[in-house]
Amino acid sequence: GGLVQSCGHIIPESPVLALGSNFTALCILNESCLDFGNIYANQIIWKIKNRVVPKEQYREINRTVSSVTFNDTSSLATPLTCNILADGQIEQNIYGITVTIGLPPEKPRNLSCIVHQVSKLTYPMTCTWNPGRHTFLDTHFRLKYRWPQESFPDCIPKDVNNSCTITDVQFFVNLEVWVEAANALGKAESDPLVLDPIEIVKPLSPHNLSVNSGILPTVLKLSWENRISAAVMKLKFNIRYRIVGDTNWMQVPPEDTASPRTSFSVQGLRPYTEYVFSIRCMKEDGVGYWSDWSEEKTGVTTEDKPSKGPPIWRIIDASRSPASWTVHLMWKALEPFEANGVILQYEVTVRAKSSLFSPLEKYNVNTTNLTLKLPNGTYEVTVIARNRVGASPPSVLLIPASNSKAPVKNVRTLPKDGKLWVGWTAPNSYVLKYVVEWCLVSNSSDCIIEWQNEPGNVQGTYLKGDIKPFKCYLITVYPLYADGQGSGQSVKAYLQPARSPSKGPTVQTKKVGKAEAVLTWNRLTVDEQNGFIRSYTIFYKTIDGNETAVTVDPSKTEYTLSSLTSDTLYTVRMMAYTDEGGRSGPDFTFTTQKFGKGEIEAIVVPVCLAFLLIVLLGVLFCFNKRDLIKKHIWPIVPDPSKSNIAQWSPQVPAKHNFSSKDQMYPEGSFTDVSVVEIEADDKKSFSEQDLKPFDLLKKEKSTSEGHSSGIGGSSCMSSPRQSVSDSDEGETTQNTSSTVQYSTVVLNGYRDQTPVQVFSRSESTQPLLDSEERSEDHAGGCDSTTQRQQYFKQNGGQDETNADRPCFERAKQITSANEGDLVGFAQLQISGQSSQLLGLGLEKNTQEAALPDVLQTSTEGQTVRPEAVEGNPPSVDEMPKSYLPQTVRQGGYVPQ
Amino acid sequence: MAAADSASAALRRRDLCSRGIRLAGKMRSDVVDLLDTYVERQGLDASASVAVVEGVPAAAAERWDEQTGTQRLLENLAAYRAFRALLAQMLEEQREQLGEADAALGRALAAVLLQVSAFAYHLEELLRLESRGPPSEEGAGPPPAPHLGLFERKLRGLGVLAQPGQ
Repeated sequence: GGLVQSCGHIIPESPVLALGSNFTALCILNESCLDFGNIYANQIIWKIKNRVVPKEQYREINRTVSSVTFNDTSSLATPLTCNILADGQIEQNIYGITVTIGLPPEKPRNLSCIVHQVSKLTYPMTCTWNPGRHTFLDTHFRLKYRWPQESFPDCIPKDVNNSCTITDVQFFVNLEVWVEAANALGKAESDPLVLDPIEIVKPLSPHNLSVNSGILPTVLKLSWENRISAAVMKLKFNIRYRIVGDTNWMQVPPEDTASPRTSFSVQGLRPYTEYVFSIRCMKEDGVGYWSDWSEEKTGVTTEDKPSKGPPIWRIIDASRSPASWTVHLMWKALEPFEANGVILQYEVTVRAKSSLFSPLEKYNVNTTNLTLKLPNGTYEVTVIARNRVGASPPSVLLIPASNSKAPVKNVRTLPKDGKLWVGWTAPNSYVLKYVVEWCLVSNSSDCIIEWQNEPGNVQGTYLKGDIKPFKCYLITVYPLYADGQGSGQSVKAYLQPARSPSKGPTVQTKKVGKAEAVLTWNRLTVDEQNGFIRSYTIFYKTIDGNETAVTVDPSKTEYTLSSLTSDTLYTVRMMAYTDEGGRSGPDFTFTTQKFGKGEIEAIVVPVCLAFLLIVLLGVLFCFNKRDLIKKHIWPIVPDPSKSNIAQWSPQVPAKHNFSSKDQMYPEGSFTDVSVVEIEADDKKSFSEQDLKPFDLLKKEKSTSEGHSSGIGGSSCMSSPRQSVSDSDEGETTQNTSSTVQYSTVVLNGYRDQTPVQVFSRSESTQPLLDSEERSEDHAGGCDSTTQRQQYFKQNGGQDETNADRPCFERAKQITSANEGDLVGFAQLQISGQSSQLLGLGLEKNTQEAALPDVLQTSTEGQTVRPEAVEGNPPSVDEMPKSYLPQTVRQGGYVPQ
Repeated sequence: MAAADSASAALRRRDLCSRGIRLAGKMRSDVVDLLDTYVERQGLDASASVAVVEGVPAAAAERWDEQTGTQRLLENLAAYRAFRALLAQMLEEQREQLGEADAALGRALAAVLLQVSAFAYHLEELLRLESRGPPSEEGAGPPPAPHLGLFERKLRGLGVLAQPGQ
């Protein structure tokens, strides 16, 4: 009775349908509506949501009932409505139903149960199962269980559909357990599980585990408490243990712990080692589940004496002294499992085997090495490690005088599993053990030797150490015999030479020729190689040419490039290759030479020879044609002496023939005639005062009868060499060069004096002019040297009229005994004498020979050794110019 | 076939005996634990004499030498049926006395009751294997619970518990 009466309804009302089944619904119209609105079943339209169901699925059962059929419910949806077309046009809803589609529950499978002990008396049982497919419907699961004679309330899962826990179960009675699943479409039960819960117990693990060290160093005793009553079940146990720090567990043999107990002594442990223990239990007969492992407890075994002696080896340094060794004994600290305690001391004994009565040397050390200085010989070294409990067996090392026994052969290496394996071929003799030495070869650090012992029956081992990749190791294997030792055999190896060199070789030229160049390079250092250098490749090219590569053997450090183009710039670089790749060094450029070796010589030598030949021919030609050449080059010069003017002067002898000085210069034969040579272009105007000193010269000139003429004498003095050597003053030379060569007739008088007509021959060397100039210097400056003054003094001594001249007065104050003066004087005499004697030239030897005679004639009687003169030639040079008019003897004048 | 049945029956019997013995052991162990709790909770003295409780059959085995196996089984069955009835009564009384406050004790009593029941089942099964079949329970029903005071009921409960524990 609602407010609005529906015109019909659908059967079934809100059905729950199995997915995939067929379904038929009926829409039944009310009779009242038929009369009221002329509504009949044939007007019914079925709809799923808003979608009209095809009319093929309709069936009009009678005039008030229409049915719709779905072959597969999967095409259904909610709501399913029954509608009608009122008046043939307006669609009106009559009724609608909710359709629920799902699946019936599957049979639960894989039912299994376990009883977890949670306390001493509480044993809940948890059963799990596979609930099967999703049903899309509300499905209930129930865990059912019963005894044969008694049923228990169902266990209903909370929040899950696949497990349930029965709070308490009783043992020793079979329990039947099964699962029931039910929903609107059906019900399903699992297969029943019949079991005695005691068979599926997972007990609590033993607790209060304690570990106690026993009397023996290899035993620890465990004690614990079980948490399950022996009345419920008898237990067996598993005991596991491991060394602290180790991850691998060891287990006490299960058969040893297969019976109920609360303690166990674990044997076979290492002395002085900390162990971790854990224990678990399960039903003695093995039916059921193991408990979890108990909490871990640790215990330490007591100490025992070391089980073995330390491995020992030596390094012998024989370099310091040929007669003795420095022996570095070294041994390895024992592993904890060998030391069996704290090693307190090592006892080292050294015994020389060469002499029977040699004393036994003992050393107690705390370190693992000992350095001894021993005379060369055979020694037996023993090392014993000692801890609190006792001493180890001794380790013995025989150090023979020489490693004369057979060595191993064919030492080789192989990187494997990140480690370096070393193999060798054993010698034929029985080997006690092997020692494998190795060290890292590096430029930056010394080769620090590491070593290890290997038993005599192996022929290979892994190096036990931190072997780094890309590093070169030098590995040496020594065989040790009972009575000696073999020499070490070495090999170099890399653990992982998986890199190219870190740098390439730096190449440079050693010698560059026209078509070839000798290249040199330094080997890469070990640290740079990163592996074994397998080859070098030299790449060279011109600027615009293709690169050429040449492969070179890695053992070489020099290579000659040939067939190069001359006078060409080449760029060369070099790559070093390991197995893993190559690395190029820096570029180097060089230029080939333009000429090859000997080419220049081949050109120059013939040219020179040709030149010499030409010169020679020229000389020969000149020699043959010298007359002709002379005629062209040196024209015949008229001899002035044969000129008319020579013959014209009656006072002058036509020929200078001085037989003696006396004859030439008679004492006191001064005349008033002065012979003064004046340059034609002399621009100096001599003042009267300046010319005064020449008075004396005028007189001197007159002593030579005023006619110092003659080619011979003049030639002597005109020697250019002498002129240069005798004068350090350039001015003098210049003045000389500007003299007039030929004779000049001077007819001017001096001041107011009546000129005397004389003629004088002027020579190129113009000694007279020089003398005049110097005289002028002396007179004007009054600063001439003492020697010069001396000459004038002597000269002045002959002429009282000149004594009042200032310069001469000063000269008088200077002692005439001065040795230097004497020398100078002697020199002047020699000059004069030699000039007289030889006429032409002045030989030094003559000069020296004449010197002693002259010295003996000195007024003071002092003797000056000739050596002194020779030893001081500059004093001679420094003497005033010999061109000065000199009066060695009274009225003497030496033409120079 | 008969031999197989016989072997199977022997196996079954051995299994029942084995588990029955262990069940009895566990039952005893549990009851011993429970007794302490019970005495403590009920405020009783552990030394209280519970030697004779009316209606509680003795579980003693003094006369077993004189009996056949079947007789022993029958006696034991009767006794445990009686225990079961008594324990059920006791459990009900404990619930009234202690209420839900001491659920652990109630659960322990229920567990003992279950074990007694299970043991009785074992005995019945053994008797079936003896081809006797268990006697009906009606004849061996527990005596009607006497109307006792609270203390007596506690003491009786202690006596009931003590029996399986012996």
